[in-house]
Amino acid sequence: MSENLTLPAQQGSTDGAPSTTETLLEVEGLTKHFPIYGGFPIKRKVGAVQAVDGVDLTVGVGESLGLVGESGCGKSTTGRLITRLLEPTGGRITYRGQDITHAKRKQLAPVRSEIQMIFQDPYSSLNPRQTVGSIIKSPMEVNGINPAGGREKKVRELLELVGLNPEHYNRFPHEFSGGQRQRIGVARALALNPKLIVADEPVSALDVSIQAQVINLLQKVQDELGIAFLFIAHDLAVVRHFSQRVAVMYLGKVVEVGDRESIYNRPRHPYTHALLSAVPEVRVDEEEQRERIRLSGDVPSPISPPSGCRFRTRCWKAQDKCATEEPPLVQISGNREGHLTACHFPEDPTTEARDEDVVLDPALKALEDSAGKE
Amino acid sequence: MLLDVRDLHVEFRTRDGVARAVNGVSYRVDAGETLAVLGESGSGKSVTAQAVMGILDTPPGRITGGEVLFRGRDLLKLKEDERRRVRGAEMAMIFQDALSSLNPVLPVGDQLGEMFVVHRGMSRKDARARAVELMDRVRIPAARERAKQYPHQFSGGMRQRIMIAMALALEPALIIADEPTTALDVTVQAQVMDLLAELRREYRMGLILITHDLGVVADVADRIAVMYAGRIVESAPVHDLYGAPAHPYTRGLLDSVPRLDLKGRELHAIKGLPPGLTHIPPGCAFHPRCPMARDVCRTDVPPLYGVAEPDAARGSACHFWRECLDG
Repeated sequence: MSENLTLPAQQGSTDGAPSTTETLLEVEGLTKHFPIYGGFPIKRKVGAVQAVDGVDLTVGVGESLGLVGESGCGKSTTGRLITRLLEPTGGRITYRGQDITHAKRKQLAPVRSEIQMIFQDPYSSLNPRQTVGSIIKSPMEVNGINPAGGREKKVRELLELVGLNPEHYNRFPHEFSGGQRQRIGVARALALNPKLIVADEPVSALDVSIQAQVINLLQKVQDELGIAFLFIAHDLAVVRHFSQRVAVMYLGKVVEVGDRESIYNRPRHPYTHALLSAVPEVRVDEEEQRERIRLSGDVPSPISPPSGCRFRTRCWKAQDKCATEEPPLVQISGNREGHLTACHFPEDPTTEARDEDVVLDPALKALEDSAGKE
Repeated sequence: MLLDVRDLHVEFRTRDGVARAVNGVSYRVDAGETLAVLGESGSGKSVTAQAVMGILDTPPGRITGGEVLFRGRDLLKLKEDERRRVRGAEMAMIFQDALSSLNPVLPVGDQLGEMFVVHRGMSRKDARARAVELMDRVRIPAARERAKQYPHQFSGGMRQRIMIAMALALEPALIIADEPTTALDVTVQAQVMDLLAELRREYRMGLILITHDLGVVADVADRIAVMYAGRIVESAPVHDLYGAPAHPYTRGLLDSVPRLDLKGRELHAIKGLPPGLTHIPPGCAFHPRCPMARDVCRTDVPPLYGVAEPDAARGSACHFWRECLDG
């Protein structure tokens, strides 16, 4: 398009296998079940929403791990469990070698200042009655931190860092636009010099042109301050842009994880494959045939997920084995180091167009057949 | 010519002054054609559609000028009851949020059937049979049973299918879809977009697709109109626009989207913010954010110049479209 786009790619060292970096956060078998109560006259537990059901993840120091999936797959719950805003039902969260799964408030205090969160909605995540200065200052007050030169000076530096005018210290959130508010949220997350930021859909509420500004800001923060990110998003292109490693979630489980080249160019799990093929792309290319997979239906209910592999109800490769045996998340043959897939019948490692489109949606199938007959 | 919007102006009276949401928008849609109206929030894309559809809240809104010619008739001059007959029967709208567009306390079959009762004077029983038929047509499984269910019993994708069925009910000549897939997940979004495209072909309807998503547009639209601050800044066949944008704003938008095929590089964000509609900058509204802006841009409002090549039906509201086109 323009010559601007041919900038050299970022230093590719982080693109490779993740094993070289030191582990910052490790999550094993993380589970969160939200109980459902019902019955009369005595309410009792009648079931549970299995929002997160055995998630394994690692985030290296200074690394960005993208967590993608459709709504209801448990990606946000995972983020909230890691920041310990929710109490895990089971599993283990290890932060810098320290088990924080069920740590008490007091034990958590030092960890909390190192793990910060950026929220999706820049309108509801800032207190409308506080000035920007006091919003950004409050994490320091709560944690009793007195940076050199005073808190106010630090706040002004942070405002400058995120691209806002330090003079706007005394303004209120309503005086800022959505993108600027998200910058305030970023400044607040940076106030305690965190080592890990959990960003839950940080740009999905913003317009395209503003989205790019905020992504660039986050990238700058990651590069310059060496902060690790758990980047939760449903937008695959944004995640690919931002994260060195990507984990794909489906119905409370990680179905595939690996470095971004491997996931985007050589997906092995049928769900990852379908997800990638469903992303509408910003280009019109008639020569290049795009792969097309149209899944049928919606994600099943997490109250009673399918047995065995959870994706089997929408999978075109499903066989009897998938219903009885849950596939483990392992490195399958032909995959790069660190690329793990949970599938009994993995796909060929390619995203080229196939001989025949996979169209599982009965509606489209019928329409296309009738169109073909005419 | 199915729809011909000419020089439409819409304002809103607000406490902060008059917000000029639409400032002279013109576009045309032929039968069987898909026009995508692309823009960020506040660009006036939805307000234009509401004015065309005749569902603009007045007050605070006010149409201050222009014509909306639908099959040769100016809709803005019709009386409300004539307008209502056009709406639904000849043009229909699909909204972003299907859950809040459906009545939560009425079975979906009854809501679909109401279209036939009101517009066609059918009996409730016949109308319900037609509703089941329609649900079948948008391929809702077990339509007969599901027609008795309430909106909350359907998933997001299914609800959007019901909205599509409702829009199709009276086989209108024009459908306006306002962000029809924005609330849906990608895999479901693909299903709904494909369904909409297929049905449009089947019925040979005109379709106006309002969206902020450049990707969705690339797949289905024939032509694109890009809006900024209440004006159309570029209008072109979809192919030409993606290949070589003729307006710096379009170019900025295309460059600021992270793409699957170009990762890890700094995005070319458009600097600054879209203007407030009460204080639209003089001259070209985009000039404070434009990398190409010169003195003339600050004073003269650029008309929609005809961009002769490669297609005569192309327009760009930029004084320097030629430079932009050349990159």
